[in-house]
Amino acid sequence: MKSFWSLNGLAGTWPACQIFPSRTLAVQLPISRFSTSATLQARKGKGGPKKDKRIVLIRYFLNHPRTPRPLRFSRLRALRHWAIHRAWNLYKAKQRDREERDLERMYNSMRLACEELRQIGENGMPGGKDEGRLYRVAMEKRNIWQGAPIEYARIQTDWPSKSGWNHEWKRG
Amino acid sequence: MALREAPTALRRLARSTCTSCLRPSPSNRTYSSAAADDADLEPTSFTPPPRDASEFNPVGQSRARPKQLPASRYRFRSPKFYRGPLHPHQPPPPSDPSSRLFVPGPFSLPRLAQTYTSTIAPDMLAQTYTHVPLGQQRGPVGQRLRSWEGESPYFAGRPLRAPKGNAVLLPLHAPITFRNVPKIERVTVHTMASEAIKDSAYLHVAGMVVQAVTNVRAETHRARNSILQWGLKAGRYVSVTADLRGEDMHNFLAKVVEIVLPRIKEWRGLKGSSGDSTGNISFGIGAEGVALFPEVEVNYDMYPPKMIPGMHITVHTTAKNDKEARLLLSSIGLPFYGKLVN
Repeated sequence: MKSFWSLNGLAGTWPACQIFPSRTLAVQLPISRFSTSATLQARKGKGGPKKDKRIVLIRYFLNHPRTPRPLRFSRLRALRHWAIHRAWNLYKAKQRDREERDLERMYNSMRLACEELRQIGENGMPGGKDEGRLYRVAMEKRNIWQGAPIEYARIQTDWPSKSGWNHEWKRG
Repeated sequence: MALREAPTALRRLARSTCTSCLRPSPSNRTYSSAAADDADLEPTSFTPPPRDASEFNPVGQSRARPKQLPASRYRFRSPKFYRGPLHPHQPPPPSDPSSRLFVPGPFSLPRLAQTYTSTIAPDMLAQTYTHVPLGQQRGPVGQRLRSWEGESPYFAGRPLRAPKGNAVLLPLHAPITFRNVPKIERVTVHTMASEAIKDSAYLHVAGMVVQAVTNVRAETHRARNSILQWGLKAGRYVSVTADLRGEDMHNFLAKVVEIVLPRIKEWRGLKGSSGDSTGNISFGIGAEGVALFPEVEVNYDMYPPKMIPGMHITVHTTAKNDKEARLLLSSIGLPFYGKLVN
């Protein structure tokens, strides 16, 4: 009968083990590894499927908990930040206002031009046979809803320049 | 306090000694110069900064200091959880750097945003201009939701009926003026990995790809319904979205328009029937298209190739119908093909 002290489960059936359990353990038994997962995975059909290292890395970085704590400024730095933030908001508001006023100016001039066109008839004079013909033509939205041509749709860049390479340039 | 409780004789004694020590002696009165006033003050660690700018060296000063200065007295800590409007500990506005929602920036002005303000918006205004002659008023808006008409007494308290032929009330369309030129509001990037039900690695890789491409933390979503054909089970995490605004949105759209879409083989454009008829237009990019994003391309080896997902991209515009939204997108560089459905 196997007793608890025989350590049969660890060392297998080994007579010396049963005679001097404590002394033989230190000398004879192989040192157990810290982690057995590699060995377990190496065995066939055990230890679960092998994980792709890339996926392990992706999971690590997705769940990485180290988010920086909220910034804590001292009094003067906080004041400085507040002042800059207010100034930036003012600047943005003014810029937005300027852009909208620019659009408004264009809209108003289009409106005035259309009013003129409405009254122009034959020979460019007010009244007459074809009064408002130019206005009606201007109001036609032909080929507008088809969308802009792809040549138009280029996000603006600083380069290349419109004039291309300047061959005349000499070092001053 | 102790003096008040003391017996009167002692109190008198104490008062007489105090007044004598506080009263300036006649010899002290003769000293009345500035130097003597300074000498009276306590010694202070404060030294005025040097006048010359070349001598001004704050870093050196702080290094030379034997002991660091203490922090200022009070630092506000934003509460970790919102406890309602009546709680005394309220979070600061998100623009405050002590807020947990604070995002620094913007750090750049994207080229797409500049193009929009300088070129696209004025051109759209000119293209879509509709003239209202002087003195002419726009007609009144008709009944949007129908009232219940009939004999039943229950009709009185009922909410109004949906419009005829359409269960959804569509937004009113106003002609474009300088105030409401359509612009891009936000972009939603969505990815569904239905294989994530069996292996969560699909969801994680999709999330990482979306984050890398959009520069925004991805959110995960559960499946709402169980659909047998697609292998969906209700309640399981299957999809990932990212909501882009501002700088991120413009950078992402520019990347899609300039780098990714031109390199997709046989790409025809967006489908003309795309859109939810309120000015939001969606399109998709397949897995091989997503692999063309520069962020994925430069370390393509870090993603398992079969797990790279496709994407749905929804562009939310402020246009009130698809026609105007399409005009905006085509002028940004997203052409349309097929029949244009409004």
